[in-house]
Amino acid sequence: MKGEPIGFDRALFWTLVFAVFAAVAAGLGARVVDRLATGYQEAATNYAVVRVIAPEGPYAVAAAQVALSEAPHVSSAAPMTRGRAAALLRNWGGAPANADELPDLSLIELELAPATPGADVAGDIVAALAQAGVTAEVIEAPADGASANMAARVRTIASWGAVAFGAVMAVIVWLAARGLATRRRELVTVMCDLGATRAQAASRIGDEAAMLGLSAGGAGAVLAVIVAVVLLLLAAPEVSLQALPAMIRPLDFAPLVAAPMIAALAAGLGARAAAGDIHAQAARLG
Amino acid sequence: MVRPRVSNPDLDLYQSGTLVRLVGVNTGYGASTVLFGVDFEARVGEVALVTGPAAAGKTTLTHLLRLALPPRSGRTVILGVDVARAGPDVRAEVKRRIGYIAEDPVFVEHWSAFDNIAMPLRMGGRRARDYHDDVRELVDFVGIGEAADLPVQQLSGAERRRTAIARALASKPQLILADDPTANMSPADGRRVARLLAEMRRVGAGVVICSQDESLAECAQMRRWRIDHGRVTQVDEAAPQAEAEVE
Repeated sequence: MKGEPIGFDRALFWTLVFAVFAAVAAGLGARVVDRLATGYQEAATNYAVVRVIAPEGPYAVAAAQVALSEAPHVSSAAPMTRGRAAALLRNWGGAPANADELPDLSLIELELAPATPGADVAGDIVAALAQAGVTAEVIEAPADGASANMAARVRTIASWGAVAFGAVMAVIVWLAARGLATRRRELVTVMCDLGATRAQAASRIGDEAAMLGLSAGGAGAVLAVIVAVVLLLLAAPEVSLQALPAMIRPLDFAPLVAAPMIAALAAGLGARAAAGDIHAQAARLG
Repeated sequence: MVRPRVSNPDLDLYQSGTLVRLVGVNTGYGASTVLFGVDFEARVGEVALVTGPAAAGKTTLTHLLRLALPPRSGRTVILGVDVARAGPDVRAEVKRRIGYIAEDPVFVEHWSAFDNIAMPLRMGGRRARDYHDDVRELVDFVGIGEAADLPVQQLSGAERRRTAIARALASKPQLILADDPTANMSPADGRRVARLLAEMRRVGAGVVICSQDESLAECAQMRRWRIDHGRVTQVDEAAPQAEAEVE
């Protein structure tokens, strides 16, 4: 049966768009936090820098690199070039450095394999180098367990926070959809008078609300994506639109897919329940 | 193999042409009882006119007959179903066979009269191209003409009443209930509406009209009932029936 869009429906539509937009934004925010925390966690636990103290010179660095390839915990080792050092200095907020002007740093970057809990990673690496006749120190050691745990905790809080926020938005959608059923009171009453069962009347209104929830949810999700892309391009100018697809992982789509569907479900169920109540009132006057 | 027929007195009553039979029925709202020991009957091809003063219980009787108000005691058989024992789905099925014209009809106000009239047909699963001509015929029958394409909220009181009549007739009901269908109408319009309703007995429906206006009895042959203080009495013994049978 037809129902022309009316003022209240438009207000409800935009309410649902906003709710889904907020839920998707929270979900995408949680994904960003998750990826940043994961990056931090990996960098903190899988990365180290070794400075060769003695002997001096490029041959010592080469010898240390060979020794490190056999050392425990080490997945790969690569001498730090001047260009790489300059880039790191820039990232760490130092003064802009010209790579050609930097001294020979005798630094080696290590990618580490996951260590067993309690292992003295830095000590084992220094010992392995000493056996090869190289005196060195680990100047950026992997983070301890507490830092890694903190990152994991941040990821968990962000994920569950987004889920909780999404649940609150779903409740708002559910309540707003009950308003749609109230607006359709006369239709439900007429259907009841004409012999529609409670289930038929509830389905009619519930389906309408679900479709409204789905379309508004889609609009809200698209809006959130547009805002997210604009913010990303503003926050990270080095990222280009062409590079975006490669950055996206399948899990990043979860909020985009889930939010409109949950909005449709919540709207449908809310309106259905309210329409059922209205039908019951109309069906039994006594 | 022929199945042995299970005796169902309510169905037998219906098949013999009795659309409504109330025996000693009490009903009301909340703590108050409005109808007391009502005995009433409506038959196929017959118009029953129930008259009485305001607040006599006419609307309550209509609500009882349209299954919106449950009986508290007594026996209420409508279209072959004992409504006190019927479940919600059976009651809904019975309601689909009843055309109800309320004193103050409820419509989907922003829909056109045409769409409101077509609503029972849509609910029955018919598509627009299938029912369009039938609804136009009804529009002409009740005489709302061009107004059928206007939203109901723009119609006059008389046009709304006619729209309600057309909607009640759309699904070809077996029982038509009209609660004060001529209220707030000119005498001429009122008589026309009463004749319209009385015409329906010729297509096999039973018609029950509840009204304060006793002069409606002059519009067509009707079985007359009187309601006062919640008690119903039959004024005349019999009214001629149209030649029609329950299918």
